[in-house]
Amino acid sequence: MAMAAATGSAGVTGALASSRQGAAVSRISSHKCFVPVNFAAQRFRATGKGIGNFVIRLEFALGFFMPGLLERWLNGWYGQLGVGTRATIAEAVKSEASGAVSGSLRDQAEASFSLSKDPGGPDFFLLDLAEKLENSVPSEEQGDSLGARALAELRYKSAEQALNLRWPTNKDEAYRFTDVRFLKNLDIAPTPAQPASVPNFESELGLGETEAFRLVFVDGVISESLSKVEGLSGGAYVGSVCKITADSAGSALSQALEYLGKPAAGTQDDLFTFLNGLGVQDAGLVFAPKGVQLSKPIHVVYYSTGRGGSKDGEEVTSISLATPRLLVVAESGARVEIIEQFVGAPDQVYWTNQVCEIYVANGAEVSHSCSQEQERSAVHIKQTHVSQGEKSTYKLVEAEVGGRLSRHNLQVIQLGSDTQTEFSTFSLSSKRQVQDLHSRLVLDHPRGISRQIHKCIVTHRLGQAVFDGNVKVNRFAQQTDAGQLSRSLLLAQGATVNVKPNLQIIADDVKCTHGAAISDLEEEQLFYFQARGIDPLTARSALVFSFGAEVLQSFGNDYLKKRLERLVKSSLATDGVVNPNVPVGQ
Amino acid sequence: MVSRSSFCQRFAAGVGGLPTSIRNGAARAGDVGRARVPVVAGRVQLREKGVLVCGEEVGSLKTQSRRRWREGSSSSVTVSTNAMSAQLEEEPAAKGEARVILEVQGLRAVVADTRQEILNGVDLVIREGEVHAIMGKNGSGKSTLSKVLVGHPDYEVTGGTAIFKGENLFDKEPEERSHCGLFLSFQSPVEIPGVSNMDFLRMACNARRNARGLEELGPLEFYGFVAEKLTALNMDPRFLDRNVNEGFSGGEKKRNEILQLSVLEADMAILDEIDSGLDIDALRDVANAVVGLKKDNNAILMITHYQRLLDYIMPTYVHIMEAGRIVKTGDMSLAAQLEAGGYNAVQAMKM
Ligand SMILES: Nc1ncnc2c1ncn2[C@@H]1O[C@H](COP(=O)(O)OP(=O)(O)O)[C@@H](O)[C@H]1O
Ligand SMILES: [Mg+2]
Repeated sequence: MAMAAATGSAGVTGALASSRQGAAVSRISSHKCFVPVNFAAQRFRATGKGIGNFVIRLEFALGFFMPGLLERWLNGWYGQLGVGTRATIAEAVKSEASGAVSGSLRDQAEASFSLSKDPGGPDFFLLDLAEKLENSVPSEEQGDSLGARALAELRYKSAEQALNLRWPTNKDEAYRFTDVRFLKNLDIAPTPAQPASVPNFESELGLGETEAFRLVFVDGVISESLSKVEGLSGGAYVGSVCKITADSAGSALSQALEYLGKPAAGTQDDLFTFLNGLGVQDAGLVFAPKGVQLSKPIHVVYYSTGRGGSKDGEEVTSISLATPRLLVVAESGARVEIIEQFVGAPDQVYWTNQVCEIYVANGAEVSHSCSQEQERSAVHIKQTHVSQGEKSTYKLVEAEVGGRLSRHNLQVIQLGSDTQTEFSTFSLSSKRQVQDLHSRLVLDHPRGISRQIHKCIVTHRLGQAVFDGNVKVNRFAQQTDAGQLSRSLLLAQGATVNVKPNLQIIADDVKCTHGAAISDLEEEQLFYFQARGIDPLTARSALVFSFGAEVLQSFGNDYLKKRLERLVKSSLATDGVVNPNVPVGQ
Repeated sequence: MVSRSSFCQRFAAGVGGLPTSIRNGAARAGDVGRARVPVVAGRVQLREKGVLVCGEEVGSLKTQSRRRWREGSSSSVTVSTNAMSAQLEEEPAAKGEARVILEVQGLRAVVADTRQEILNGVDLVIREGEVHAIMGKNGSGKSTLSKVLVGHPDYEVTGGTAIFKGENLFDKEPEERSHCGLFLSFQSPVEIPGVSNMDFLRMACNARRNARGLEELGPLEFYGFVAEKLTALNMDPRFLDRNVNEGFSGGEKKRNEILQLSVLEADMAILDEIDSGLDIDALRDVANAVVGLKKDNNAILMITHYQRLLDYIMPTYVHIMEAGRIVKTGDMSLAAQLEAGGYNAVQAMKM
């Protein structure tokens, strides 16, 4: 324990832990690879008074403290904690990352652009894409129903904002470890709004009508024929925004449209949000009026046909782009369960650039399951913007197993006190897969409770997982109780994970815990299996499944849970990491 | 399966229940499935289908004289072989004469990473029906001995042998040792979050059944099988739904180890401090469970600091371990002396 005075807003930020298993890690530890970060359960408790002047007392549950730690912390480098060589790893990864991407003249040009104050000229690629997206919206969609007008407005505003931004590079903090520039080398083809012929994929999804209302997007546009929303009651609405007509003007339903494209103040901008807004052809709305509890979950399926995408052998030449959007409004006291599922036609090349906006009013509850099962050549970029009113609850459980690049920006902004927020997320990165979760929780009001667990497995040397978990506890968010835990399992030499848990705490009476661990499987556990007669491959398999099971088991829908377990198992088995016949989690 | 060389080595060393007085010139194992062969000192030959597999001089080995002291009388030996395996069996002729389950000789082991020597010459013979206790100060190497026997990767064997039911333990992977019927109840069992006790037990049980050539048990059959074990151990079936050792109290962990022991139906159980961290009631339960599993054809090696456990599970022999060796062997009275005077008193006595 230590006392230290810090002036100004004493933000405790940081924790960059990057590790490549193999080269860098083996330098510090022998064979166990249980290194970079393992500061389980540190408790921060800041006490003090005065304006802009806080005395911070740091209590460590682990009971260790290194002199000078606080300064380093305040400099934003948890990374130094305990293991002196961590900086080396971070540097190694950094240099490796930049080594891999720098070199072209174009990159250097980009670098100099972003260094100057004035971006200095438009990003022509972006202009070009914006134009394509604009042209992809057929004129009849711009009809004059209430909903269509709201969409038109969204497109207009988004265009403005998108063009003020630039394509992200690894010089941008938010995209430091995640390469999205390869998209610039592809011919991006926004999917036309004309309905596509769709194979019978719903039967495969297995979620019957009895179990859920269903809203299906095909290439970003809602398919009336595939959606099944009969039986909604109590003024609830599930369907296309465009179908909201002037008849409902002034009603609660039309009020819900007010939330379209208007995230809570404090939500961070991202180019891909605006690209979605710019090209959005249709948007889904799930609306639960005051006090209404929807009788069944809403199963939202995003299906991509890959029209317009093409491959030349392994090489992707053009990629089809769909921009689906969903708005969920749960009025005060309402309860909604949303299941989002992302799938695509086998072996197709497509990019799903989705935005999901969720408004959870006072006392309302939204539970949200998200299953990302995209094809392996697909790009998946998703924004989830949540705002939470007083005494509301938002729970997310997510599994990301598909795609070539999957990026999820999850932002939750607290609008009132006594909120509950839970994130349980799991990702699996195999060969040439990047799974990236950037989560951000901003607490501005007292007594918020949040729990976050993120688990990722990287099974291949060409696989990467990225996690940036930001929790911001602002000045008035007293008595916040926030916990965050991230665990990464690297199962191949050279597999990469970039983990950046970061807590920024300004309030002085809070309980925040976090921990991050990057490891191989633990030898003691493996040996325990062996000592009971279980062979090492089976033991590894059981341990790997059980690692993910903690998150997968929180999926409320049994069918989806089983489906994901199967997907995870088969992916792991393909990589030779596990024996798929191990009777764990069945 | 026994490798030929190890078979011979064992034979020569008088291991595996070979009696000390050998009457005939040679022990022959013909291609007959099973032959009763009287043996005397001299050359021991093992033939498979008429071919000489190995031959070895059986001299007046030190171990044999030691054994003579221990065993008293002699008996005949049954040598059975088939084309694939050779197995030594002994027929107890006189009372107190039982097959050797485990024979450890001159066992030395180091910590694999640091080469720090921990075991330096452990000798131990355990026969069917016997209960042995090892006592000794903290750090004397008791847990290391038990972990080395089950093949923990932290340690490397640098000398000596360990023969379990006629087979060289050190030729086997840890899981194979378990399949042979060797079991270690760990001093501190690890937690395995995400794997239920039920799944774990079934995997373990089926692994051993597979190794014995038995059908695997399906989930329902297994439930029936394990339910019986639970009842016998007076354990709550809800135990099965919990993750292996996750959040278990000290007592629950030890019970869980004993449950695994009973499901695996091991022939030899090494119990490393199953009494530590237990309250009196839990200790009684665990000890009674162990006594319940005790049979004439299995054996127990328990490591403990306390007389109380020995009072429940009466040991045949009590050994004292010091600096990686067994320095004294006696009966229950040795434990009593320890309890009364501590290790120093016993050490003083040693000379
Ligand atoms: N894996 C290991 N690495 C380093 N030292 C070890 C290891 N295992 C045991 N030791 C050391 O060996 C000695 C014996 O340990 P142990 O067998 O656990 O003793 P006991 O069970 O008799 O208390 C101790 O000094 C212990 O620190
Ligand atoms: Mg011990």
